[in-house]
Amino acid sequence: MNQTKINKYNRSVSIIGVGCTPFMYTVDNPETDGLTEGEMFGYAALKAMEDAGVNPQDVDYYFHGQASPLNGSNYLTPNIQIGNWFGMKGKGSIHHSEACCTGYLAIEQAVNAVASGKYNCVLTGAVEFGDSTPSPADSVETPKHPYKRDKMTMDKFLKTTSWLYDRTYTRSLMAGQELIYDDAAEWYVRTRGITAEQMNDTLNWMCINNRRNASVNPLAIERKTYESLAEEAGMTLDEYMNSAFNPRMGDFLRAGGIELKCDGAAAAIVCATEMIPQIAKNLKHKPIEVLGIGSAACEATTPHFEVRATEEAVRQVYELTGLTGEDLDLFYANDFIITSHLVSAEIAGYLPYGEGWKYICEGRTAWDGDRPINSNGGRTSFGHAHAASGLADMYECCKQIWGECGDHQVKIQPKTAMLRGYGGAQNVAAVVVRRIDD
Amino acid sequence: MSIKLEKVVEQFYLNLEEGKIMGRKCPKCGNVEFPPVYACNACGNLETEWYEISGKAKMHSIVMPAALSSKPEYKNLGKFAYGEVELEEGTRLNAVVRGINKKKRTELQDQLPVNCHASIFQREGGFKTVVFDLDEA
Repeated sequence: MNQTKINKYNRSVSIIGVGCTPFMYTVDNPETDGLTEGEMFGYAALKAMEDAGVNPQDVDYYFHGQASPLNGSNYLTPNIQIGNWFGMKGKGSIHHSEACCTGYLAIEQAVNAVASGKYNCVLTGAVEFGDSTPSPADSVETPKHPYKRDKMTMDKFLKTTSWLYDRTYTRSLMAGQELIYDDAAEWYVRTRGITAEQMNDTLNWMCINNRRNASVNPLAIERKTYESLAEEAGMTLDEYMNSAFNPRMGDFLRAGGIELKCDGAAAAIVCATEMIPQIAKNLKHKPIEVLGIGSAACEATTPHFEVRATEEAVRQVYELTGLTGEDLDLFYANDFIITSHLVSAEIAGYLPYGEGWKYICEGRTAWDGDRPINSNGGRTSFGHAHAASGLADMYECCKQIWGECGDHQVKIQPKTAMLRGYGGAQNVAAVVVRRIDD
Repeated sequence: MSIKLEKVVEQFYLNLEEGKIMGRKCPKCGNVEFPPVYACNACGNLETEWYEISGKAKMHSIVMPAALSSKPEYKNLGKFAYGEVELEEGTRLNAVVRGINKKKRTELQDQLPVNCHASIFQREGGFKTVVFDLDEA
């Protein structure tokens, strides 16, 4: 497979503030039903500015991510429509979409823009209505209500996911788009020599751990632990996880290992480290430097596309930084198919080769374990507002590194972290960040 | 050769109608691109040439279809699985392999890779595509 050597940035770039909405089903709650794109993105953007100690006039440019703006917002240029909401009227902006990888590449683009020297301070944000569409939801051509939205059914959502795959060959060949659910699990079982039953347990424990993490995170969409659900059903945890409450939906995958698609927004302020004293005079935190971002993409006809792209992205960023998995204190994986959580942490060396499944089944990757993964609850419990999820992970990562997570602060104070972005059938980013200490 | 604005996709499907499964071969390094595209992803050569694949292949992994990973129209395939398939020419791709059910998968798992061969399959949308069949099925 093709490889790329990445180089050091022309100047140091840091994240200095983050903002995030709760992840939610907006139309299900009268208090949130009717929220719009400007309100969601605007909230996250202004919270990030407040967190960074800057105001909109300190910010030179903004990046706007949304996975499916035509379907989810009836917009072609969603960035243009919302800049006024957070005081950046007249400032330059660009929209980008890389589906579920959008929020991770949102960091990539912002960092590149600042590292080049063109801008000193930028906002990068994303918003997604993954659970609803502008009303009426019949087709994108129908005139839409100014703020009312309709629930997006899973059936409709799954039809739109076909848009992620190459129309000329992949959809026709019928395999690439279907292998997303179970290919990584099959690969892990075969290459590590574990049994299908052990993989089943591992998949269940990733769900349990993600939910435990979400249960103590007020921004997460699903906070009831599997232990509580099992007790309510009069079952043991093991019985519940292998029951009709958690049905098998794939060759390996069960329902609990699939994303909770929802609505949300998140944002970050990205600043040239050398300019922080001038721009962020009210800085509240130590800057978190972006050390490097590895990138790789494998179209879905490529065998083991997630594995191969993750290997390459991780290789790039480790070669650049000289770091290894042992240097990481915290790990985030975009686990809308929960197997991602296991395979990416092992490829990154955050969990030892062939042993990661044991760490997961022993609870060591939960927020209070010694190798925490997805301390916010991940896509299966924090929720998946597609484009916004990567920046929501960055929000959580920064808050953990700053020691601001309260009831779910991880036990070993983290300094260095990797975020493994994944999505868009399939784009991968390996983002490595580290707190700058005095 | 010279770089051409060429309807490779249309030609691929027209060839299937005539019973030919075509890839594109790199004149510089011999890598075969399948399904066919303009450039070589192995050596970076800017051009490739039409090449009829032998159809001989090996299946390296097996994933069974399930509720999430199937569609009603796939019933026309009969029993099948998804997996990594390596063409005799060395190209690897994700593909459908017919002739596998859960029982067969259990038998085959310890024998991987297993031999298979390319077949032309009529899709419901009015076009043909490529699937593979187990040699022993």
